[in-house]
Amino acid sequence: MTDNKGPLQEPDGLADSESEQSFQRLVLESRDVRDFLAELAVRAASRLSVSGNTVHCGVTVIRHRRPQAVAASDAAAGALDELQNGFGDGPCLTALRNRTTLLVPDLASEKRWGPYVRAAVEHGVSSVLAVPLDLAGDAEAVLNLYSSRSNGFTAEDISTVEAFAHQAAGSIRLILRITQLSEAREDLSAAMQSRTVIDMAIGAIMAENRCSREEAFNILTRASSTRNIKLRDVAASVISSISGEEKIPTHFCD
Amino acid sequence: MNAEWTGGPDQLIEADEQRHGAARQFQDAGLPLLKLWTYYYGIGGDVDELSLDAYLNEALHLPAAQVGLVTTALTELTWDDAE
Repeated sequence: MTDNKGPLQEPDGLADSESEQSFQRLVLESRDVRDFLAELAVRAASRLSVSGNTVHCGVTVIRHRRPQAVAASDAAAGALDELQNGFGDGPCLTALRNRTTLLVPDLASEKRWGPYVRAAVEHGVSSVLAVPLDLAGDAEAVLNLYSSRSNGFTAEDISTVEAFAHQAAGSIRLILRITQLSEAREDLSAAMQSRTVIDMAIGAIMAENRCSREEAFNILTRASSTRNIKLRDVAASVISSISGEEKIPTHFCD
Repeated sequence: MNAEWTGGPDQLIEADEQRHGAARQFQDAGLPLLKLWTYYYGIGGDVDELSLDAYLNEALHLPAAQVGLVTTALTELTWDDAE
C-alpha cells in the first residue's frame, strides 16, 4: 500500500462517509485480516507521530483464548506487544478486558503491572495508550500505542484514536466475515474430497468382509486410531492397495 | 437424526460419560461448530449440524458409529492445530 490517504491523514472535520470509503478500499485491497491490521497500525502510528515523539502501534488479538500480537507498525511495537502478552498482563490487556481506553501517561510512576512496566521502560517506552476495538463479539482486539516520551499522548490524540478505532471496527468485522466465509468454503471442498475417498474405502471393506457400513467404519476407525494415522489417509491406502490409484479426483472446485 | 436408545442402563451411563468427555474436548479446543461439523462430514459423518450441536451440549444421544466419527474428528482437528 502506497496510498496514504487514510482517515487519519485527512484533515479534521472530514465527512464520515469519506473515511468509511477509505476503510472500504483498505478492506478490498487487503489480502487477509492480518494485512488489514498491519496497515491500520501503520496509519495510526504515522498520524500520532510528530518530530521528537515517534509513536509505535501494535494490534493484539485474542485467538484460541490467548492474546497474540498479530500486526504492528514496526518491529519495535511488535516486540512490545509480545513482551506484554508474555507477562500475560499489562495496560493493553487490561484495556481489552475492561473494554475501555486506558492511558498510562508515565510508566516511571506507574504502580500496576510491575514486571511488565520495568521491562517496557528498559525498552525505552514512557507512555502507553490502549484502545480496544469493539468487534461486537466477532473477535476481541486492542490497538496499542507506545511513545518514548512521558505524556506522549494528548487528549486530542486520544479522541482521534478512539474515533479511528470506532471506524476501523466496522471494517474489521466485515473482513472477518469474508475470511470466515472463504475458510468455510475451503473446508467444505476439502470435506467433499475426503468423503469421496472414505466412502469408496468403506464400500471396498464392505465387499471384502461382507459386512455392514457401520462395521466397515469400525474397521477403518480402529486401523486409524491404532496406527495414529488420519482416517482419510487410511482410506486412501485401502484404495491404493486395491487398485494402485494414488489420487482420487473429486471436482468440487471451480 | 435421533438415536433410539436400545442399550441397558449401564450402557446409558457409559454413553453419558463419553458424551460429556466429547463436550469438554470440544469446549477446550475452542473450535467453531461449523468447522467441526464440516470435518466430521468429510470423514463420513451422517448427522446434521443441529444434531451435532445438541450432542455437544449433552442434550441428544447419537448412534455409536456417529459418536466414533465425532471423536475422530475432534482428535484429528487437534492434530491439525498442533502442526
